[in-house]
Amino acid sequence: MKKTLFSLLALVVIASLSLAACGPAATQGPAATPAPAAVTLKVLVHQNPPMVAFMEAFNKTFQEKHPNITVDMSVVNAGDLSTVSQTRLAANDVDVVDIFGFANAAQPYMKKVDAPNWQQLIEAGLLMDLSDQAFIKNYDEATIKDAGSYNGKVYAINLGRVSYSGIYYNKDLFAANNVKVPTTWSELVAACEAFKAANIACMTAGGKDGWPIFVGAYGLIGAIYPDQAGLVEGLWNGTIKWNDAKSLEMWEKMQIYARDMIEPGASGIPGDGAPGRFASGTIAMYPGGTWNAPAIDEAKPSFKWGFIPFPGSDNAEDNKYLFGKYDQGWAVAANTPNKEAALLYLSEFSEPANYQAFANAVGFIPTQPTAKLDTAIGAEVAPYLANFRVGYEQYWIAPKGAGQFANPWASYFKPYGTDDDPQVLADKVQADLQAGLDAVK
Amino acid sequence: MNYHFGRGWARWTPFLLLLPGLAAYFVIALGPSLATAVYSFTDASGLKGAPVRWVGFDNYQEFLFMGRASVDNLNALGRTLVFCFFVTVIQFGLGLFVAVIINQNLKGRNIFRTLYFMPVILGAVIQGLIWSLFLYPLGGPLARVLELFGTRSEFLGGQPVEAFAWVIVVQIWANMGTTMIIFLSGLQTISTDYYEAARIDGASPWQVFTNITWPLLTPSVNTNLTLNIIGSLQAWQLFLVLLGYRNGTQVLGYLIYATGFGQTSGSVTSSFRQGYAAAASIVLFLLVLVIGTVVQNVLRRREARILG
Amino acid sequence: MSAQTNPLRSAGKPIDWGQIGSYTVLIVLAVIYLGPLLMLVNTALKTTPSFMRDATGLAVEFSLQNFAEAWNKANFPKYLFNSILYTVSATTLYVVMAVFVAFPIARGYVKYAGFFLTLFVIALFLPPALIPQFQLMLNLGLYNNPVGYILLFVVNPIGIVILVNYIKTIPTELDEAAALDGCGYFRFVMSIVLPLIQPALATVIVLHAIGIWNEIIAPTIYLTSKDYYPITRGLIVFQGVYGSNWPLLAAAVLMLTFPMLVLFLFLQRYIVAGLTAGSVKG
Repeated sequence: MKKTLFSLLALVVIASLSLAACGPAATQGPAATPAPAAVTLKVLVHQNPPMVAFMEAFNKTFQEKHPNITVDMSVVNAGDLSTVSQTRLAANDVDVVDIFGFANAAQPYMKKVDAPNWQQLIEAGLLMDLSDQAFIKNYDEATIKDAGSYNGKVYAINLGRVSYSGIYYNKDLFAANNVKVPTTWSELVAACEAFKAANIACMTAGGKDGWPIFVGAYGLIGAIYPDQAGLVEGLWNGTIKWNDAKSLEMWEKMQIYARDMIEPGASGIPGDGAPGRFASGTIAMYPGGTWNAPAIDEAKPSFKWGFIPFPGSDNAEDNKYLFGKYDQGWAVAANTPNKEAALLYLSEFSEPANYQAFANAVGFIPTQPTAKLDTAIGAEVAPYLANFRVGYEQYWIAPKGAGQFANPWASYFKPYGTDDDPQVLADKVQADLQAGLDAVK
Repeated sequence: MNYHFGRGWARWTPFLLLLPGLAAYFVIALGPSLATAVYSFTDASGLKGAPVRWVGFDNYQEFLFMGRASVDNLNALGRTLVFCFFVTVIQFGLGLFVAVIINQNLKGRNIFRTLYFMPVILGAVIQGLIWSLFLYPLGGPLARVLELFGTRSEFLGGQPVEAFAWVIVVQIWANMGTTMIIFLSGLQTISTDYYEAARIDGASPWQVFTNITWPLLTPSVNTNLTLNIIGSLQAWQLFLVLLGYRNGTQVLGYLIYATGFGQTSGSVTSSFRQGYAAAASIVLFLLVLVIGTVVQNVLRRREARILG
Repeated sequence: MSAQTNPLRSAGKPIDWGQIGSYTVLIVLAVIYLGPLLMLVNTALKTTPSFMRDATGLAVEFSLQNFAEAWNKANFPKYLFNSILYTVSATTLYVVMAVFVAFPIARGYVKYAGFFLTLFVIALFLPPALIPQFQLMLNLGLYNNPVGYILLFVVNPIGIVILVNYIKTIPTELDEAAALDGCGYFRFVMSIVLPLIQPALATVIVLHAIGIWNEIIAPTIYLTSKDYYPITRGLIVFQGVYGSNWPLLAAAVLMLTFPMLVLFLFLQRYIVAGLTAGSVKG
């Protein structure tokens, strides 16, 4: 009995050890002129299927071109990315890191806030200074400045932007019902009424997740506060309040949007279910992000769709902005033993031809000036690209102690939330924010 | 207790054989948890190379007393207790009831037993997916049933109280199988002689249950009550997959997860805050410790009274 | 009335209301359990476009292709072996260690048994310690190492609590008799106690194995080399930051679940038929 047990244990241990021994084999370069040392380049990315597919193809070409380099790319869920970057950087187990959400740094007027995680990575000395790299020049100056720099040094290249302040609309339904594509808020209200009269649901949205309702109404925030960085500063120093007269108008419109425009039942649709529902062809509009376009097409809609900025204002000029965020970027681990290979990797990735192929595959709004988004959604957003603005929440860091309602979210309104009075809600939002501002005074 | 397997050095055998389990527990579980307790008094980000400063009770002060956020946290604490109460009572009761029924010599009981245990095998992510589909308000199965009665519901997307109630339902659905099999294994220890005697005496099923099954099931009752209470106090996964970050629905376990993984909404720019997340998890730990200790004491006394 | 509804009566009277009542309860519950579970099967049988358009509609395509595609895309052939290796070795190690922890505690064969039990009950309450645990494993050289990964799963207080409470129901006279026969401690536990606690043991094995089998965060953090990935790590290809491929994921999950289902089917006869009438005096 004793013997069988111990042999079983021994077997377990041996099996595990043998597995440990068979680590990834480094491919040997062919015996060309002085063979460079074999390098395994470890790349960490978050799961976004078209991007991963592109990177796999890119890695293959890269390895063929540089036979001494093996690219070992790990994919993790977006939600785990910050934790895994933290552990892998600590273990010196990564060379090229995916930075997801490189927004604004903590500003001097923000009291007692914690820096966003990318800034913490830089301050801890975990990311390499890329300022002198030639490939930096392939990207928009604005991009490098807004989504890659800290204290005058460049730490990341950002690979693209997405916008979330637009509305997909069903061109066939608009034509069949003689409805004009709205460019102002009153036209949007009228369009919804026309569709409702024809027994067609005006809008759908992934209400269950909450945030799709919020970003769907982004145009309402943007129309009132086109200067989003200024909005954040104003909220912090008290010159803008979520319950002042200007904001109250925003809340009133948000209620109309949440209560009257979006179809009943939408509060149970998950965020990734909404594109499919729109693609079924029974719904006139769908406020969504540019990243939703592939999902709509994947559901094989039998109609043509278009994309317009959400008209939040009655002045059509105010509605020509697109708000959005920077998506994914690349950075290099500061103490990588494979510095040359890592920089070579980013340098080849940044070559205009490669970058163009990347943008096409992933559907980001490009951050290289020479690249163009060659897809249906790319054509739809092209007219507004000159007016692209980074959204408020990319700049926003809430004061510690602020309540959970301290945000301009349309999803606080019924049926998504519990509120149905704009004034009462506005006061509650401002009070929750004020509690934080008072706490850190 | 008298030890029969030798004296002198041989007396040490049980302890030596217990040692590996104990050592593993100290190193792998207790050690890191103690480190968490230490972290909770620092501003550690958890990043390699970042400075760590001692901040005393600042993290606790922030979590429990700072501004409106602390009010939200305390509400989450209250919700945790409500969740624990309903889940424990219903899951325990239902698990016991089903175990007693299924323990009879019924045809097809293997199938029922396997079916009730299936959710445990699936894991939380999939439990979340299938309930999101089952409760889909636009043409989902349950929505269609409600339609027959001329009514409708938003289910998980409804008002916070309704959504919260559905998480309770799914939590029970998902874990009742575990409670059931622990009771089933406990029922095997009760000799059928007792039931035979009771049958001859003409005892009613209720009398059989209260006089034989219930007292003799005490060890399994203790196991299940302990696991149900602690499991529901610490629950977070179903809140994540069914509701996400939604005002008016969060429980402590979910808040801790969201803080630790930087997934609190409102600011997309989340930070690494190991120290603060540690403080939040120590608060939950103390809550579970207090409730768990009280329950353990009550259960042990009851066991001593019944089993002697 | 009283005699008729006795749960132990299976035959005799023409109408057994107790049995009808039992079946009614079981069937109602079965519907509640089967409904959501069928959604998973239904999803797995749908094509992606049809799922996107109408997530809950009945699958009419019955496309088994999802299963083949999921099998390949998630790298089942490669990662399934790792999952089995981790689950089998960690569960075996754990169960042996747990029995030797639980038995002397339940019996009071070690000093401070009450204190040890309290320690393990406290382990149930312990706060999550992801980052400190990672730092520990890293410093022990057990990061990205299958042995280290297996070691993460040799601690599980739930199993100890189940075992301790169960062992208490085994009469101590057995120990005395065995010792008189000259049976040593180790042999006594392995050959006499183990068979007697089969129901609890089977329960612990099932719960512990399922926990390891479904684990996703730990392999994401601790096993960074693809050669070590368990199959849950392979399923990530069906997820995405902007939406997941649910039909393929559902098909993959059904395949993933299968080994654990088999394990449960195999072990459940031990859970429900461990001890027969009279073998132990309660």
